[in-house]
Amino acid sequence: MPYYQTWEEFARAAEKLYLTDPMKVRVVLKYRHCDGNLCVKVTDNAACLQYKTDQAQDVKKIEKLHGKLMRLMVSKETHSGSMEMD
Amino acid sequence: MVLLENDSFLTELTQLFQKCRTSGSVVITLKKYDGRTKPAPRKGHTESFEPADNKCLIRASDGKKKISTVVSLPFPQFAYSNLLRAHMDGLKKKDKKSKSKKTKATQ
Repeated sequence: MPYYQTWEEFARAAEKLYLTDPMKVRVVLKYRHCDGNLCVKVTDNAACLQYKTDQAQDVKKIEKLHGKLMRLMVSKETHSGSMEMD
Repeated sequence: MVLLENDSFLTELTQLFQKCRTSGSVVITLKKYDGRTKPAPRKGHTESFEPADNKCLIRASDGKKKISTVVSLPFPQFAYSNLLRAHMDGLKKKDKKSKSKKTKATQ
């Protein structure tokens, strides 16, 4: 179960995995305040991508990815890759 | 597993974070949801179910207490992301090198 070393690679792989099969993929976020770390996992029960961090600067990135995937899930998308920039 | 409305879910999630500050973890799971409330029918039975495309499920747990909510638009995404950011604040801050990188002309 690989832990990615860079956020960029993880974020790209996670979004790609989600787009291959939105219904199968789940995103898991585990936060431990006592240990001061945060783990993200994106899996479709076959592939599993993980990223963990203890840096405050990653919280914003993780939260943005989380929000992005949530928005993808609740929008009726007819085709992938349509990003509207506001 | 308690299924809540969006705003109660946010309130309960806040409480989960607060409870776990001294020990334990908060696990949040996000998954696309097609709205089915009945198990998948066996072979031979026709499925009279229209999958919805615009919902997702958020679950949260501290290991003991479990809460969940169904998300569809409109969703207070701003409130939710602020909540996450506000509570996940126990991580290390890296400001050793950043000040030397930003060469502001204030000298």
